[in-house]
Amino acid sequence: MNGTRDINEIKGEEGGGLDPRAAARLLEQTTREAHRRFSMASPALAVLGAATVLVALGAVWLSVRQQHPYKGPTAVGLLVMYGILACWIAIVVVFRRRAISGLSGRSVRQERAFGVAVLVALVGVSVFQGVLKHDGVSLGIVYGVYPLTAQLIVLGVLGATVAAAREEWPRFGVGIAIALVATASAFAGPRGVWLSDGIGCCVVGLGYAAAQAWLNRASASA
Amino acid sequence: MTADTLDPLIHVPARLQIMATLAALPTGDALSFTRLQDMIGLTPGNLITHLRKLEDASYISTEKTGNGPASRTSVALTYQGRSALDAYKEALRGLLNGL
Repeated sequence: MNGTRDINEIKGEEGGGLDPRAAARLLEQTTREAHRRFSMASPALAVLGAATVLVALGAVWLSVRQQHPYKGPTAVGLLVMYGILACWIAIVVVFRRRAISGLSGRSVRQERAFGVAVLVALVGVSVFQGVLKHDGVSLGIVYGVYPLTAQLIVLGVLGATVAAAREEWPRFGVGIAIALVATASAFAGPRGVWLSDGIGCCVVGLGYAAAQAWLNRASASA
Repeated sequence: MTADTLDPLIHVPARLQIMATLAALPTGDALSFTRLQDMIGLTPGNLITHLRKLEDASYISTEKTGNGPASRTSVALTYQGRSALDAYKEALRGLLNGL
């Protein structure tokens, strides 16, 4: 933490001079620092995520809001959305890699298995989207309501399930809230669903950031 | 209650930091020697000395994988180590409440 120390550098290295108050302080500081460095989430990252989803889905909404009849997102709208999401994913990956660097064991295996489950779910949703188009379902469903609603419900419920297994209740709340936002947004129709999901997920992200900041402050003052 | 009630093996700054850092990991997880060294800020020789003492008491377990420069040593808190740290915290709380 403060550079490397030599073997005799710390006073009371074998405990003789270590005051109980100093020990309690050291224990508390080390625990807090370790939790911070192992943490795969941060309030700043959650705020950035909230802004990302609002801008990404908002860009698509701007590209479809004047369409009558609805034809689906334009190439520019999709390009902006995927570009912003790709940047966001890259930031999350770098942050998470730093957090789990040097870690091995159960939670790393769980993270990998979760990643595989998410990938399979997203591929499944996309394949089913193709089936809907093949069967002649309206463009409003195929390129509007279905992909966004199905993906967010799947991701939200998967995230909530993993969080429940680990008893990480703020993350569980985020997963459930995203699934609920997606379900309710389906009623907004093919154009409105983009904006409704964008605003809803942004609010959920900001709430999660606030909850994390509050928990961090509470644990620091405990 | 006196400071003698504190586990002397843990009641050392470096070992207290090692135990607290490893205890922040979920049960079943291990940490590489290099990341632990980076987090605690000890020299490799010093860290090895402290880890050996904790391992002799079965408070931690170490596992070496690979050979040569690619080898990697992982350190994890054992069930016994987690219980010992909990008991240490309890004793520390008792001491501080009595002060």
